[in-house]
Amino acid sequence: MKSSFKLHSPEASGGPMARRTVIHSAVAAALACSVPAAFAQSGKKRVTLNSVLPFDETTWTRLLEKGPRPAAYIFTTTYCSTCPDAFEKMLAFVMATRKMVELVVVLMDVQGARALEHARHYVGATRLYTFNGFESAIRQSVDPAWPNVTPYIVLLGRDGSIQRSIGAPEESMLKKWLP
Amino acid sequence: MHHRKKGLLSAFWAMVLGAAVLSCAVAVRAQHSEHTTAPPGVAAVPPPAVAAVKPAMRKPRPQLGTGLAFAPDGSLWLVGVNAQGRLYLQTATAQPGESGWQWGPQRLLDTTTDPVSADGENRPKLLFGPKGVVLIAYTQPLEKSSTGYVRMLRSTDAGQTFSAPYTVHTDRQIITHRFESLAFDGRGVLHAVWIDKRDLEAAPRIGNKSSYRGAAIYRNTSSDGGATFGPDVKVADHSCECCRIALAQGADGQLRAMWRHVFVPNVRDHAVAILGPGTASTEIVRATFDEWRVDGCPHHGPALTASDDGFHAVWFGIRQEGEDKVAGIRYARLRPDGSPHAETLQRIPDARAERPDVLAIGQRVAVVWRSTDGMTSKLMTWLSIDGGRTFRSQVLDHVDGDNDYPRLVRDDRRMVVVWRNAVEVKIHEIKF
Repeated sequence: MKSSFKLHSPEASGGPMARRTVIHSAVAAALACSVPAAFAQSGKKRVTLNSVLPFDETTWTRLLEKGPRPAAYIFTTTYCSTCPDAFEKMLAFVMATRKMVELVVVLMDVQGARALEHARHYVGATRLYTFNGFESAIRQSVDPAWPNVTPYIVLLGRDGSIQRSIGAPEESMLKKWLP
Repeated sequence: MHHRKKGLLSAFWAMVLGAAVLSCAVAVRAQHSEHTTAPPGVAAVPPPAVAAVKPAMRKPRPQLGTGLAFAPDGSLWLVGVNAQGRLYLQTATAQPGESGWQWGPQRLLDTTTDPVSADGENRPKLLFGPKGVVLIAYTQPLEKSSTGYVRMLRSTDAGQTFSAPYTVHTDRQIITHRFESLAFDGRGVLHAVWIDKRDLEAAPRIGNKSSYRGAAIYRNTSSDGGATFGPDVKVADHSCECCRIALAQGADGQLRAMWRHVFVPNVRDHAVAILGPGTASTEIVRATFDEWRVDGCPHHGPALTASDDGFHAVWFGIRQEGEDKVAGIRYARLRPDGSPHAETLQRIPDARAERPDVLAIGQRVAVVWRSTDGMTSKLMTWLSIDGGRTFRSQVLDHVDGDNDYPRLVRDDRRMVVVWRNAVEVKIHEIKF
């Protein structure tokens, strides 16, 4: 897919090869958009999210059933000083693999403008959710055994496999997630 | 004709490419901003299908953290924040017989322009002192994330009137001075202790990160009931950054502080220090040995209370038990210096226990916590009448939805547990 974005030379335009390249480019561009995942974020220019989505007691089940794969969900709080480092580790791994991956940040303690303000710590994320409801109930809908420690990271594999980590995942988990 | 067909085809493919690129640009623009400062409010972005089932209500999380203390007349005082973010005081009086407690009206306190932090780990504090002194402390969050000042309101007429707020510490950098705790020692000296990041800020940086591990514990003292304070003194380097600090007075009249520490390299166990008079530094003693290694944020501080021969402590941690790493609330008795009696270690028999508190009167020991299952939270007690050797558990109450941590309060006559939810504040007598 990466080769589809190569610039074609002026002298080649108009020929059969050029038409194929244009077709491939169009399809690739459409695909990149249809997966709102990280293609736009995996280039050199990373940007800050400017919208938030609500995450309530029912969201996790829907994400597991219908959400994108592979995906990483980084549950964090505004007071979590170790969370940005864990996110950076995740992002670096994803970028090194050159795979299209959903990299989601879920803020648990603030909503709205305060959440957007905090998004600057997670430049490169593809989506930003915020808890909307009773924190303990939402947390337990994700994992009944999660003891409210952040960062709490869930790696959802392409095959639906789930790995969970308190703190940054170990390299072996990441390799298993994106083989 | 051939040329016209070729031209039409080229135009068609150009349109396809253009449409694709345009739609991509729109989609990317909708979700991201190239500015590091986000616009105020929530952008109207079409949410992905998985999140679009419900409209976003974005109800702010209620600030239910409270401070509690018994007044000299036996009434129970509460300081908290109302739905509008205003600090208020409320008093409950015991009713005759088994009628329970009756709350009086809320009384708003003037904090000038200060916002007040009132979540569970960083709640307002309330303290009665000698000669009619009543102290209220809180963290004033500053504009920069995770920064704050420790502020105080002081009354010298038994709480009828309060001073304007003033800052407790000398340092005025826009950094963390938060998670304060207050207590008087046996000589009547007031101690303020808080989490402070001045050393983190001053430490050399590696890349864009500080080389300093965690934060620090600082304190100062006041010999005039909080009217003035001495210099800021460091208690310990390398505390965890956002867990409450527990204070308790020992049999020797000296205060102990217990906090979650970051031992080398990233072990988040607990430490205890004796808070002596003046500015003397003290050694810290390791109080727990869960050996929980994590680059994470538990946001779950300990609780501490005096026993006949040391202290009772409860805390949250993850510990290797056999083949498994087991998260839980654990209890142990500590020696006067803060080191643990290893044989007294017990895990509270509730996998969903969180936010514990502990208090003792002689051989009677109460541990309380909340246990949440979905939307329902239970208020649990664990009671001992033999100084913490054996316990029996009991469910005291339950509530649906948001609630604060349960808080134990005692005076010479009684012990109660206070539990605030989004609707009311309930008081339960602890009966051993």
